[in-house]
Amino acid sequence: MHLTNEQLNEYLDNASTERAFIETHLDSCDECAARLSAFQALFTDLDSLPEVTLSRDIAALFRPRPSLAPQLPPWLTLTASLQAAAALVALIIAIPFFSVMLPQVEAPSFTTWFFEIQSLWTSWLDTLSTFQLPTYQFTNLPTYPVELSTLFIALAVVSIFWIFGNGLLLRNRHS
Amino acid sequence: MNAPTDRDLILRARRGDAEAYGDLVSRHQTSVFNVCYRILHNRADAEDLAQETFIRALDRLHTFDLEREFSPWIRRVAANLCLNHIESHKSTAPLDEERDEDKTQGPSEQVEVKERSEQIRSALASLPPHYRLVVELRHYQELSYDEIASELNIPLSDVKSHLFRARKLLAEKLHASD
Ligand SMILES: [Zn+2]
Repeated sequence: MHLTNEQLNEYLDNASTERAFIETHLDSCDECAARLSAFQALFTDLDSLPEVTLSRDIAALFRPRPSLAPQLPPWLTLTASLQAAAALVALIIAIPFFSVMLPQVEAPSFTTWFFEIQSLWTSWLDTLSTFQLPTYQFTNLPTYPVELSTLFIALAVVSIFWIFGNGLLLRNRHS
Repeated sequence: MNAPTDRDLILRARRGDAEAYGDLVSRHQTSVFNVCYRILHNRADAEDLAQETFIRALDRLHTFDLEREFSPWIRRVAANLCLNHIESHKSTAPLDEERDEDKTQGPSEQVEVKERSEQIRSALASLPPHYRLVVELRHYQELSYDEIASELNIPLSDVKSHLFRARKLLAEKLHASD
């Protein structure tokens, strides 16, 4: 009796439970040994198949795309930082005026506030229309045509918005 | 610094790190593509299926057992996808006439190797889909009979009969063309 194809296949797959018996038979039977060689040649053929290369990079599909948001140039960021610093200095200068003024302010009602803002706005417009550069004199420091306190309150409010705005700008850039 | 292991990359990818998954794909894309190419014998389809394999794998990454190796797993996912693809596209795409590259040998040997590779690929492509898959899993992914049976959810006796018949057919084809 010759070995079956199944026996030869299992032998080559290292899945045979009768290796010793098969090897003894192969030693004495040229026909079965030739059939085994044919299978071995097929194994060698299959093993010899080279790997082929991809024509596209699949990995690139999964990597994050570069950000589409335009990146701010470095000089603009520097300008923003300087602006923020300047605004901070202005705010610090304005603080003493606040501390002097605030105790004098009685908690006004909403309508009082509204009329005050309205008159402030009107006085600003008047001032702007009649504004003249103060003459430069060492002995006589320039006097502002509006109350100094009004000017500094406006400056403080603008500074706060400025700091807030620039802070957002910088944070967005780093995220 | 040591390169991160597959396990590291998988953990990072699970946390949504796309760059890590890109690295993982980069490591395994050639071997996965070759699984697909051996089974489908068509470059365009094989590349599409390799891509699909990594898309599916990303969806299933949270269920992947980190104690196992990623490479055998992803290659089995690819083999199964290819089988499904063949079965759902019975009217198959034309097979490639492309010859394998091998730059390690001289021109005449190169031509011989390419021709032999092409004969082997054609012989594989001529097998019924299930036979092709069993040959892929046994010869290229080195799974045991039991592992193939459990992977394809078929009886052990079917694994053996598919594999042995496939080998007989391949031997006939390759010997006939010798
Ligand atoms: Zn014999």
